[in-house]
Amino acid sequence: MTEIDVKQKVLAANAAAAAGLRETFARTGTLVVNLISSPGSGKTTLLEKTVAVLKGSLSLGGLEGDIATERDAERLRKMGIPARQILTGGSCHLDARQVERALADEGGRLSNLDILFIENVGNLICPTSYDLGEDFKIVLLSVTEGEDKPFKYPAIFSKAAVTVVTKIDLLPYVPFDLAAVREQVATLAPDGRLVEVSATSGAGMDAWLSLLTDALAKKRAGVPAAGVAS
Amino acid sequence: MHEMGVAAEVRRIARQAVADRGPGRITCVRLAVGDLAAIEPELLKYAWEALVVGTPEEGAALEVDWRPATQTCRICGDLPGRAPGSWLRICPRCGGILSVTGGDDLDVLQVVFEEEDNPADRAVPGGAR
Repeated sequence: MTEIDVKQKVLAANAAAAAGLRETFARTGTLVVNLISSPGSGKTTLLEKTVAVLKGSLSLGGLEGDIATERDAERLRKMGIPARQILTGGSCHLDARQVERALADEGGRLSNLDILFIENVGNLICPTSYDLGEDFKIVLLSVTEGEDKPFKYPAIFSKAAVTVVTKIDLLPYVPFDLAAVREQVATLAPDGRLVEVSATSGAGMDAWLSLLTDALAKKRAGVPAAGVAS
Repeated sequence: MHEMGVAAEVRRIARQAVADRGPGRITCVRLAVGDLAAIEPELLKYAWEALVVGTPEEGAALEVDWRPATQTCRICGDLPGRAPGSWLRICPRCGGILSVTGGDDLDVLQVVFEEEDNPADRAVPGGAR
């Protein structure tokens, strides 16, 4: 009987692909954000509103992960930016190799952008573990989901550099303890940023948009990724 | 939720580790799984069992070394004895801000491999081993 020490990361192949993507994005100066949330928290709606404001001054693109339908990519294309749907066929997360392939299949239409939005499969668990070469992860939590989510899903809330509380226009109608969420996020991600927005009313959108444009400016100025969102 | 894919990757890594060892059998694979790795050890073991049925790894054990995330104070160091699911914002000793560290391990640590007897040895009963 022989014991062989291996000490190898199970997700090493994904990590290698992510490192390659990160190098490419560094060369092109593209800010890449990986948006993660449960289904229906408003990722695509927030992106539509974001694109409407920023597309005049910045080149934007989207990669949309879903298990089925082209719907989200179509919504972004309608907003006037290039977008590609990655259908995972039931898989619960996007993998860096899927991102690689999607970018290659687009033949350059999603390269050399100012900002690439990667909208992950709606799921607060699995996407957390898969590096996609992004500058940072953004987790969204809508007020209709309840305020207990950060401690229920500590991995994503501790790893996301930015937490976006969405649908705050609904706060008068739903029991949601915003202070409790702020406290939990501050506990899990003491260096993270929290923004509170309503894509419908426009509340908080200025803070969200400047977070993105500041992060892009910092990336272009060579500030390391870890400091981008702080 | 993606335990099956992880189990397949674990087997690929284990097979690679023993590739040049000659005939034999993997009897155990030891893994480190972190608190924040989005992997449920129990489900990973079920996935492993389903994956290896009818393959050379059938019967090989999957052992999981659980790695909890820790909360760390810049001044006092790691906070000992954190109950699962309980998180503190400030250090109970000095009141400093705590950070969350570790717990994202998902590594193959060790593969236990049982070599088959060398057929040449078997041909000579009592022959030198």
